[in-house]
Amino acid sequence: MKTQTIHINNQTFILHPSGVIYWREKDMVLVADVHLGKVTHFRKHGSAVPHGAIDDNFIQLDAVLEYFNPKTLCFLGDLFHSYLNTEWILFEQWIGKIDAKVVLVAGNHDVISPLKFEELDIHVTNEWLIDEVLLTHHPESRSGFFNFSGHIHPGVQLKGMGKQTLTVPCFFKKKDQLILPAFGTFTGKHTIKPQKEDQVFAITPEEVIPLLFN
Amino acid sequence: MNKKELDKIAEEWFTARSWKPFPFQKQTWNAFYQGKNGLLNAPTGSGKTYALWIPIVLDYIKKNPNYKTKHRKGVKALWITPLRALSVEIKQAAERFVNEIGVPFTVGIRTGDTSQKERAAQKRSMPDLLITTPESLQLLLASKGYDKTFKDLTAVIIDEWHELLGSKRGVQMELGLSRLKNIAPELRIWGISATIGNLEQAKEVLLGHESNAGKNSILIKANINKKIKVQSIIPSQMETFPWRGHLGLHLLEEVIPIIEQSKTTLLFTNTRAQCEIWFQKLLEKHPELAGEIAMHHGSINKETRLWVEHAIREGTLKAVVCTSSLDLGVDFAPVETIIQIGGPKGVARFLQRAGRSGHQPGKQSVIYFLPTHAMELIEASALQKAVKKQSIEDRIPYLNSFDVLVQYLISLAVSNGFYPDQIFPEIKRTFCFQSITKEQFRWILNFITFGSQSLQTYDEYKKVEIESDGRFKVNSRAVAMRHRLQIGTIVSDAVLSVKYVTGGYLGSIEEWFVSKLKPGDVFTFAGRNLALFRIKNMQVLVKKSKQKTSKIPSWMGGRMSFSSEMSELLRDELYLAGTTTVKKSKELKALSHIFERQERESVVPSSNEFLIETFKTREGYHAIFYPFEGRFVHEAMASLIAYRISLLDPITFSIAYNDYGFELLSDQEIDIQQVLDNDLFTTRFLKNDLQKSLNATEMARRKFRDIAVIAGLVFTGYPDKLIKSKHLQSSSQLLFNVFKDYEPDNLLFQQAFTETFEHQLEEGRLQLALERINSQNITWRPCKKPTPFSFPIITDRLREKLSSEKLADRIKKMTAQLEKS
Repeated sequence: MKTQTIHINNQTFILHPSGVIYWREKDMVLVADVHLGKVTHFRKHGSAVPHGAIDDNFIQLDAVLEYFNPKTLCFLGDLFHSYLNTEWILFEQWIGKIDAKVVLVAGNHDVISPLKFEELDIHVTNEWLIDEVLLTHHPESRSGFFNFSGHIHPGVQLKGMGKQTLTVPCFFKKKDQLILPAFGTFTGKHTIKPQKEDQVFAITPEEVIPLLFN
Repeated sequence: MNKKELDKIAEEWFTARSWKPFPFQKQTWNAFYQGKNGLLNAPTGSGKTYALWIPIVLDYIKKNPNYKTKHRKGVKALWITPLRALSVEIKQAAERFVNEIGVPFTVGIRTGDTSQKERAAQKRSMPDLLITTPESLQLLLASKGYDKTFKDLTAVIIDEWHELLGSKRGVQMELGLSRLKNIAPELRIWGISATIGNLEQAKEVLLGHESNAGKNSILIKANINKKIKVQSIIPSQMETFPWRGHLGLHLLEEVIPIIEQSKTTLLFTNTRAQCEIWFQKLLEKHPELAGEIAMHHGSINKETRLWVEHAIREGTLKAVVCTSSLDLGVDFAPVETIIQIGGPKGVARFLQRAGRSGHQPGKQSVIYFLPTHAMELIEASALQKAVKKQSIEDRIPYLNSFDVLVQYLISLAVSNGFYPDQIFPEIKRTFCFQSITKEQFRWILNFITFGSQSLQTYDEYKKVEIESDGRFKVNSRAVAMRHRLQIGTIVSDAVLSVKYVTGGYLGSIEEWFVSKLKPGDVFTFAGRNLALFRIKNMQVLVKKSKQKTSKIPSWMGGRMSFSSEMSELLRDELYLAGTTTVKKSKELKALSHIFERQERESVVPSSNEFLIETFKTREGYHAIFYPFEGRFVHEAMASLIAYRISLLDPITFSIAYNDYGFELLSDQEIDIQQVLDNDLFTTRFLKNDLQKSLNATEMARRKFRDIAVIAGLVFTGYPDKLIKSKHLQSSSQLLFNVFKDYEPDNLLFQQAFTETFEHQLEEGRLQLALERINSQNITWRPCKKPTPFSFPIITDRLREKLSSEKLADRIKKMTAQLEKS
């Protein structure tokens, strides 16, 4: 695993190939757009998406928790894709097994009642301010704060010699904002167009790679 | 009434119209009376409708002598047409006959254009003859009580069967027929087909594999030979004629005198985009033609299309720019001249188009061929020989299209429900599924009931349920509704309707084109310049624009391939070019300066030479291979060779191909000597290597798109409806990845791979091509710059990728695309 470390407001953030960020000083992992329940939602409506994709979300979350062993796990929205379905039972079982404190910064897809989350000791909020850091689902810019968010599912288009092109998921960093790639196994991506002063980190299964611009 | 008396009715009717029945018509009548099934090979405008409609009606008279007073209710015959545009014409012809001989038969149409009200009326009381499309037939099979509706069918006629044969709509038809055969004991099945290479096989596909219907069947050929003259339009200034390009506008002025000299001219283009551009440019350069020329393609609204067709029949138009939308049916007597713009990519299609002119018997059909780039003149020269030799290609039927089977079984489950033990033998008798195994069928049943998983407590998959008596049935109304909406999607990309903000429907357009536009962007559609206002509920709202420059939608479907016969003729022409002894056609003579340049910079290969060129440009290292085998074969061969090279060293290729050859482009130099030393053109492990190459390219991924839509994995939304399919949006790309990672043995996922190179492998074309290359001498020419032969290939923007490099290594060599400021 090759991670990348960046510093914002004198704080240390480690970008991980799975698409999560570890905030060292706060011992916290940030995860965006898991979209649990999406596979089940599709199956319920007659689209036979393979089951295996469900388990993989949990397997990968476990791997991340094992790697960083954080005190806090913060979901930056769209934790669940749709209304309550049987995947919730799997989520309950999974939550029961982990040690970290869990917070959900709610997103547009999070239509499940906060009470259901509170029952599992998950705190639900629309935004979370920690020092000069603002955690939200939708990207936001607020003066005096650096914003971490999700929602966009950023991907970036790369070009090279020999008419080569590639689109890969990425972390997208602007002056006072960083957007995380979608964590979920059954999620798409949206191609962003960075500007010169931005920073983009592509992710592959093993590596986080800072990109050069043309 | 005996046969003699029936014949008398028919012949009297012909005589009254001062016609005389053709031998093929009489032959078909007799075969029908004898209860035979069959395939009638007859061209458009030959009276094929009466060959079959007359015996259907007269057979009814025979069995119901008091038909005038006592009418038996219910649908007696189905007439299936691939294009709904043809249905009006068939209805008129059919009505003319029954009205004039006094049989109280009604004729109805049921297609995507039929109103809800009319459908409901039809449901209460079916017309005696129902004209419909394969999709609408499937929809009827998805309605409750279809078995009662169709029990008295005496005939199903499948018009233009050659058009359906090589497509999944053909499979849809095969399955529909397998059901109809078993619910209508009196049924006779007849297809009508233009000339194709494999007519016998076409009959087998239609009637079923080793079926009773097939045993009691006949193939009737109309044998109406038409004289066809092919005339190439050769640019007078050959030196400035482009090496590439696909529009042909350089020769626009040459077309004007041809249009002027003839009553009505049809200009066939290969794509709708090309059609739009030609229409616009003709008007721009020759405003005097305004009002006398029109345009016709599949995306234009029905009223306009019908108006154009009507105007052609009336002879009020000088010229019509069109696409394959005018290939079929509809008899246009006033059409005197045909101009084919760009290569038609097939002899059958070319002949069919040529046949659109000079419909009077014995009259010669003239077709002009207008090349869009220099190399296409070779094609013109080869086409002339093909027409002379009547070497017409086959239409290859699909095998094991599980996606269509899934759709069909759900249709049956939506209506009456089905019992697998009853349906399986029917399916097994179709040509498409003759080799389906019990295991595969069980897999399909599991797929539609449990979403291809073993039964799990947490699973909420819902589609088809198994009832206590073993019947497979859809009980959810939502599932049934979504399925019915999905049935029509077998042919096309998701389409949106184009409307003015102020109201007024203009036509339909593919979603992917619209997705590239921003509000305010101007594009050309239906001959008008339109500004995009916004997209809402599957509707593209537009305003008129006065802006001159615009984007033109380049519709899909423009890419076709040569048949093997045509490729061979093309190859022969090309080898001729290099010789000095044989007399050359005027097309080849016109190309002499290009051949000279090719010879100077590389070589014009002879018949025992296989040419490979390499050169470097700013874009990277190019290697061009020239098998001259047609696009399909090149697609597979390029993928195969690229894969084999990529095993030697980690490398990434961008691949392009046309009908002449293919290009492997890379950021690293390709060592051709190594390619030759390692025997990379071998036929050993061909299938295996090709399969593996597919994993490294995007081809199967693209095939999967259609499969996912047909099998109902992707829900394309409710067309023109306000209901939102909330939280159900997903791309087939995403699904492809999920299947690859979690369920690679899924039959539908597998199908994407078999389908990709099915045609190439099925006929053994790739194998034969490689064998031929192995018997040739390989000539490798390192060149300084792109050669005339290479130019059309290397400038092609539609490309395939193949890589054996690690993703991270590739990323590190590339740069991100910045926003243009």
